[in-house]
Amino acid sequence: MYRYDAVDRLIVEERVAQYRDQTQRYLAGLIDEDAFKPLRLQNGLYIQRYAPMLRIAIPYGVLSSAQLRTLASISRRYDRGYGHFTTRQNIQFNWVKVEEVPDILAELAAINMHAIQTSGSCVRNVTTDAFAGVAADEVVDPRPYCELMRQWSTLHPEFAHLPRKFKVAFNGAKEDRAATPVHDLAFDLYRDAEGEVRLIVKVGGGQGRTPRLASVIKRDLHWSELLTYSEAVLRAYNRIGRRDNIYKARIKILVETLGAEAFAREVEADWAHLRNGPNTLTPQALTRVAAHFDDPTLDAALENTHRLPIAAGFRAWRQRNVVAHRNPDYAAVVVSLKRESVAPGDATADEMDQLADLAERYSFGEIRVTHQQNLVLPNVARARLQDLWAELEAQNLGRANIGLASDIICCPGGDFCSLANAKSIPLSAAIAAQLASIEDEIGALAIKVSGCINACAHHHVGHIGVLGVEKAGEDWYQVLLGGRADGEGKLGVLIGKAVRAEDVPLLIERLARHYLAVRRSGESFIEVVERLGADAFKAALRVEEEAAA
Amino acid sequence: MTLLLSLDANGPRISGEAEEVTRARPVPANDGHGDVRKKIVPIVRPPAGPSQAEWEGGPWLTLQQWIDAPVAGAGLLLQPADDPQSLAGRLDGVGIVGVDFPRIGDGRGYSHAFILRQRLGYQGPLRAIGAVTADQVFALEQVGFDSFALRADQSAEPAIAALSTYSVPYLTAFRDRDAAVFDAKVRLLEKALIAVGQRHDRPALATSLSAEDMVITDVIARLRLPIDVFTLDTGRLHAETLALIEQVEQRYGIAIVRARPDSEAVDAYVAAFGVDGFYDGLEQRKACCGARKVAPLNVALAGRDAWVTGQRRDQAATRVSLMEAEHDAARDMQKYNPLADWSWADVLAYAAWFDFPMSPLYARGYVSIGCEPCTKAIRQGEDPRAGRWWWESQDGKECGLHTNPTTTRQ
Repeated sequence: MYRYDAVDRLIVEERVAQYRDQTQRYLAGLIDEDAFKPLRLQNGLYIQRYAPMLRIAIPYGVLSSAQLRTLASISRRYDRGYGHFTTRQNIQFNWVKVEEVPDILAELAAINMHAIQTSGSCVRNVTTDAFAGVAADEVVDPRPYCELMRQWSTLHPEFAHLPRKFKVAFNGAKEDRAATPVHDLAFDLYRDAEGEVRLIVKVGGGQGRTPRLASVIKRDLHWSELLTYSEAVLRAYNRIGRRDNIYKARIKILVETLGAEAFAREVEADWAHLRNGPNTLTPQALTRVAAHFDDPTLDAALENTHRLPIAAGFRAWRQRNVVAHRNPDYAAVVVSLKRESVAPGDATADEMDQLADLAERYSFGEIRVTHQQNLVLPNVARARLQDLWAELEAQNLGRANIGLASDIICCPGGDFCSLANAKSIPLSAAIAAQLASIEDEIGALAIKVSGCINACAHHHVGHIGVLGVEKAGEDWYQVLLGGRADGEGKLGVLIGKAVRAEDVPLLIERLARHYLAVRRSGESFIEVVERLGADAFKAALRVEEEAAA
Repeated sequence: MTLLLSLDANGPRISGEAEEVTRARPVPANDGHGDVRKKIVPIVRPPAGPSQAEWEGGPWLTLQQWIDAPVAGAGLLLQPADDPQSLAGRLDGVGIVGVDFPRIGDGRGYSHAFILRQRLGYQGPLRAIGAVTADQVFALEQVGFDSFALRADQSAEPAIAALSTYSVPYLTAFRDRDAAVFDAKVRLLEKALIAVGQRHDRPALATSLSAEDMVITDVIARLRLPIDVFTLDTGRLHAETLALIEQVEQRYGIAIVRARPDSEAVDAYVAAFGVDGFYDGLEQRKACCGARKVAPLNVALAGRDAWVTGQRRDQAATRVSLMEAEHDAARDMQKYNPLADWSWADVLAYAAWFDFPMSPLYARGYVSIGCEPCTKAIRQGEDPRAGRWWWESQDGKECGLHTNPTTTRQ
């Protein structure tokens, strides 16, 4: 867990005072709507369909029990008793009042949290692997690098009015759990032959109406030049990124228009002035930041005291929701926020309090937020897994569906968002219900449902992606197949024309059943799609539709 | 005519005519339906022309005009799409460089300023014009602008106030973190004590004349905060401490109230245990602390609603989970420990920076200042609390002033 130093504390306190003053001037009519918009956005405040929405950063997804309890208490006092965890390690409250936001921000500042730069055309909250620091397959712990990036990019005076939003992600593990290929700027950390930490730099990934995978522009950046190189990337984007059309303003369009190599040359030309300069990181800076992460000292292996036969439910949960820890006596536990009749990623205030307590008793008071909108208890002794499962199960938090069809990523959609073309939450529920009886048989299947082309639920990189479109005032949906956010990333392809909401679950079930029919032993859904191609699935759908007609 | 806000050695200064300050129209109270269903407008219209035709020294020249025919002392106005790097080696003789911000969201001018200042070494006047509002000037100043032609609807006060939004400049915070951390601690301490003065009717600092308490006294006196200062004159203090009390009063022009023990209670103690009876056992020692420190403290705090101490977490095992603000349940009042996360090095750095009088006892190896018979110097490497009641066991060495309060965080 990162502990603020005095500078961090002072900055967030002064930020609250600044925004309180700005809000007062806005409410007094001294700041007009247009001028207030970037100010509120860079403090996390959107105006949504029914009410303002506040997005709070959970930097690199790490929360303490005390912080989670305060989020619960904020949701009770200022909202409707629940919060929504997003794909980029933020939490959103959907029913706040504009005039109360400064008070919420003050409560956050007291627990080392903030909403700075969670929206607007600036460098957004830095994200990474939810299992950072504990994952068995981790090569480099990304958290100190994320934190240095956070410190550098927070309130950077030159880069607060970029052409468009700018999302940064880090991955330091073998498996990419941070969706780096669809970020504006992303880093893969690795160790070179000498053991030095180096970075692969990728730019120009993004989703929305023009989905693009990031291009590698540098393969061997030394970690000490992380920020000088990032500065050069941001300056190139700030200076020459398009500003005439906001649909073409993301860095992905600039990188595509120039070509990755030409863009890299722009960056290198600026970086030549910056490398070895005053923003080059020193080992002392890295050590200082790393020392602010209070990782628990794990006890020696506990004896498993369970003599009773293992419950079947526990067995399934252990298989689906428990992730390998770097310490073999420990495990990281994923708590599913994908429950029946609950919007994906939502947790009530009571559940947040319960999880804060469980984290204190089972995981050294730490909680992580995943890109898949679930929560993680990162340091649980294996000997205590069954106890934890029983407690989670009793609180409707023990669903064993991580990575399965019902572990759907879903945006707030037309129920809340003023940009959405269609609803996404009820459709996600219908898809999960349709596949419930066969989801264990299907195994790993990433379904992602976005209510509009802005792709907040990452439908382009879902094994199955669903996109809400509007036809004559009705909700229709396009279905995409074959996307993935890991490895080098892959964008899904459309499998046909848009269909009505009521037809989507069956269509997806047919795709899944076709997979079950043609898979070879051990082959996952996405592997079959990649082996056979999307056309084979399209053909299978046509056969089914004709048979049904 | 717009207001011109300029920075010079004496701070911000306003010039220009202010008669036509048009306030933005009041907006209706936001009921949450502000831009419901408001569609994103994809195309951003380019500005019709520069936001300003001339500055006080004459017409603005465009980049091309300046490159074609530079005029000594002229003003050069850069547009967002201009490349300031084309000015490399061509800035000699320019009177002023302006950077036009046609709209708030166009941030290219910030990079123009960075390139002019950091890459081209331009040190002359640099002005932001166009959509320049109070809420932009702090960042503009950070990237190197030294004057700001405010947008027509802007008034002076918010813009001047905005220049001091953040205490620690962005680059200092990032590049020289250790120095920035110390500055930030001092600023946080000041803010905490200002808040105590505002929130409470009769707050007080209990000072032992330790260096920690001197830090707090220094802030109270320097900022003239409404926080009383008192000390527990137990009758057994070092002569050095007694002398220091007077020295501090003179230096800061403040009165330090001496809270003295009840003479009957002291007489009773001496009769029961002898004047130095505290060496004979824990009970005797606690009884002495009770009569000479705790009881006078309770008297000094009676009728108050908050008190302030200089306790630090790393002073003692009993203080590791010390909160900056807690409720003192025994006395039913707020208790503030604003130095909770300060290190001894921070205290020394503050003492050096603000040059306040330090107790001469520190130079003789004392690390904790208390009553003369119960406090001694320690050797290097010894536990800091080893100089207090050294004849007792190591844990729980507190006099009873700081009982375990209910640690409800504020």
